[in-house]
Amino acid sequence: MIDFLKKIYARENSSSRDKANERLRIVLAHDRTGTSTHLIEVLKEEIIEVIKKHVEIDGTPEVTIVHEGRQSALDINIPLKGR
Amino acid sequence: MNNSENNGSQVIVVTSGKGGVGKTTTVANVSCALARMGYKVAVMDLDIGLKKLDLILGLENRVIYDIVQVIEGECTLKQALVKDKRFNHLYMLPAAQTRNKDDITPEQVKALCDEMRKDFHFIFIDCPAGIEQGFRNAISAADKAIVVTNPEVSAVRDADRIIGMLESAQFKDIKLIINRIRMDMVKSGNMLSIEDLLEHLCIELLGVVPEDKNVVVSTNKGEPIILNEKSAAAIAFNNIARRIAGEKVEIPDFSENSSFWSRIKTLFSR
Repeated sequence: MIDFLKKIYARENSSSRDKANERLRIVLAHDRTGTSTHLIEVLKEEIIEVIKKHVEIDGTPEVTIVHEGRQSALDINIPLKGR
Repeated sequence: MNNSENNGSQVIVVTSGKGGVGKTTTVANVSCALARMGYKVAVMDLDIGLKKLDLILGLENRVIYDIVQVIEGECTLKQALVKDKRFNHLYMLPAAQTRNKDDITPEQVKALCDEMRKDFHFIFIDCPAGIEQGFRNAISAADKAIVVTNPEVSAVRDADRIIGMLESAQFKDIKLIINRIRMDMVKSGNMLSIEDLLEHLCIELLGVVPEDKNVVVSTNKGEPIILNEKSAAAIAFNNIARRIAGEKVEIPDFSENSSFWSRIKTLFSR
């Protein structure tokens, strides 16, 4: 019974605060760097094209913005095929 | 920016980006608290065209001259400074209501602050909302900045932008005040928490002011909230003033575990 009530309560809880944090994380990352979801996609495609010219890519490359404190960096993770 | 702190005096700009988060209330109460502690304090309203500080401090009937008249040489600084009616060490330099933000320059504000440094321990600048000329005027003379925000997405976003602009202007001392937090709503998962805000904004916390309806009552009367000893906001503003003066004051846990219902809620949220 208690577990059931806890579950209902938890479901209510995970609502708006989590949503706010999630939205802020994305919007602040874009505000700080002057980027957008679209720009990150464009960057990803172009970076992959450049890499592909020289080496073979294995798997799905990832391009994201990472933060340390108020500093931001572009994190590019491109798995390369071994010989 | 970051002027050397001449004879120990500090010029502190209180800013937020977004309007309505409680900048003026913060400036009024923190400066009153510091004046009550014995410091000589001046407050400068730079929200030219939309002045509020005189009203919040209950000094609107004593205003004769304003900051633009001082800058344009129509009166002296001494003539324009309004002495507070409760605290002997507190003075306010009113904004002009019929002028606008472009009527003064950052250099003029800086010169004015430098003139005031010799007479005051603390000079607080009440910055207008926005990131335009008024903001540039307000930050030009300041050694330190206080960013006021609310636990609400749009206020946090604007605070982040302001912090970025202060960093670009070479501010080294930027601290955060979280105003109008409701711990009951944080607990129930419907408001951003202190930790959430610090994680997003990544700056040092100066204080947390709980939502308190006494603030509205005090504002109606033109009295500082710090005079109401029972108010939670008053305690918070007093603590902030003490921290600004260099005292170590812990940030209290505002959780309301005392009531029956909140204990039940805590039980279920574990």
